Amino acid sequence: MVLQVLDPTNETAPPLGQPARRPVSLAGKTVGVISNGKEGTKGFFAHLDRILREEFDVADVVLRVKSNFSAPADRHIVDEIARWHAVVTGIGD
Amino acid sequence: MALASKTYDVADINAAQELYHANGWTDGLPIVPPTGEAVHACLEWAMLPPDQLIGIEPVREVAITAEKLAINAVMAGCLPMHFPAVVTAITAMLQPEFLLHGATASTGGCAVLIVLNGPLRREIGAVGTFNALGNSDRATAVIGRAVRLALINILEVRPGGIDRSTIGHPGKFSFCVAEDEEDSTWLPLHVQRGLPADASFVTVMAAGAPRQIMNEWTMVPEEILETFAAEMRANMRGYSIWGGNYALIIPKQLREHLQAAGWSKTDIAAFVHQRARIRRREWADVGKGAVVRDRGDTEYAALETPEQLLVIAAGGPAGGFGAVIPPWLGTKSRAVTLPIGACVDCGPPGQ
Repeated sequence: MVLQVLDPTNETAPPLGQPARRPVSLAGKTVGVISNGKEGTKGFFAHLDRILREEFDVADVVLRVKSNFSAPADRHIVDEIARWHAVVTGIGD
Repeated sequence: MALASKTYDVADINAAQELYHANGWTDGLPIVPPTGEAVHACLEWAMLPPDQLIGIEPVREVAITAEKLAINAVMAGCLPMHFPAVVTAITAMLQPEFLLHGATASTGGCAVLIVLNGPLRREIGAVGTFNALGNSDRATAVIGRAVRLALINILEVRPGGIDRSTIGHPGKFSFCVAEDEEDSTWLPLHVQRGLPADASFVTVMAAGAPRQIMNEWTMVPEEILETFAAEMRANMRGYSIWGGNYALIIPKQLREHLQAAGWSKTDIAAFVHQRARIRRREWADVGKGAVVRDRGDTEYAALETPEQLLVIAAGGPAGGFGAVIPPWLGTKSRAVTLPIGACVDCGPPGQ
């Protein structure tokens, strides 16, 4: 006897954004860094700041910290992204 | 109304198991094959059309329909009478203050504690006595599992996918408890939270694993509760210092001492609020001295307010055992209580 069963998944892909084109060079550019605010991010992103400036000639590194490390970035941070040439985000535990 | 989900023809129940396991549609345990007939029965019991929108997960904007939820409930082993509690639990988890995406994606690995209150418990056979936090009964087992399967399948909360838990805990299979309202003089949890006594409610809380305590050597309320408070302080040192909703599971043996002395849930919360506190310097005692800095004297309370404590009467009749169930992330996620079915005047409490 054949059993007919149902798909339990959403079957509809959630809306996704499109990644921006990657810059050819970071020299002279503004790079934003979105930190989740955890303790481990402080040293990591401070080191990244130095690397970006010293090794990649980045003009400015803008650090923004989320108000809740388990929630999406705050609206005002997201709105600011348009003013940056590239953005780095990630967890830091 | 016809169901909209894609269907699969399988030769038998064993083939169904392999189909669901192969697609990552299970929690690792066998499932009940969700047939159209079984799914329709759940929907009809809850009086929900298949395309009824239960809610939208706010971060990834994923819609959850009654049909998809019913499919997962059937897979978990739910009978139709269990389904309304599943619908309410998911609805409560979708409230912004629950912070569902964070709670299900976090490396912190929490599970969703589900507490059942009101007359529905007895109608569906949910039991809050022996083995209350374990495999106490069919109803709590399948309701808790249905919520997990729904997270896995509808919201893609799979280990290594959305679910980034480092270790997780066994409550991620099922984590549902019914309060033992009949064998307690205390107000049930939902009434304690300001909601009507005669309706049935589901409370959800993003929770760590239960931390079991034992104190069978006193009848003094302050001493009994000091054991719970000490475990909360231990959690603040070893896990997270941030205050929020903690749940206490208090079994009959300990309840009787507290009730004989005239202690209500409000009294318990007031005492624990004062006692469950640590100073930041105590982090140094558990290897976390690096983050004490110059704030060693700063005091932290496990509960910002006494009302954040969820006191739950549950557990077998013998044994001075209880449990502290800690919050996943302080007040970033708050417990939510919602009525099962229609309740015109009810709404989620502030915390």
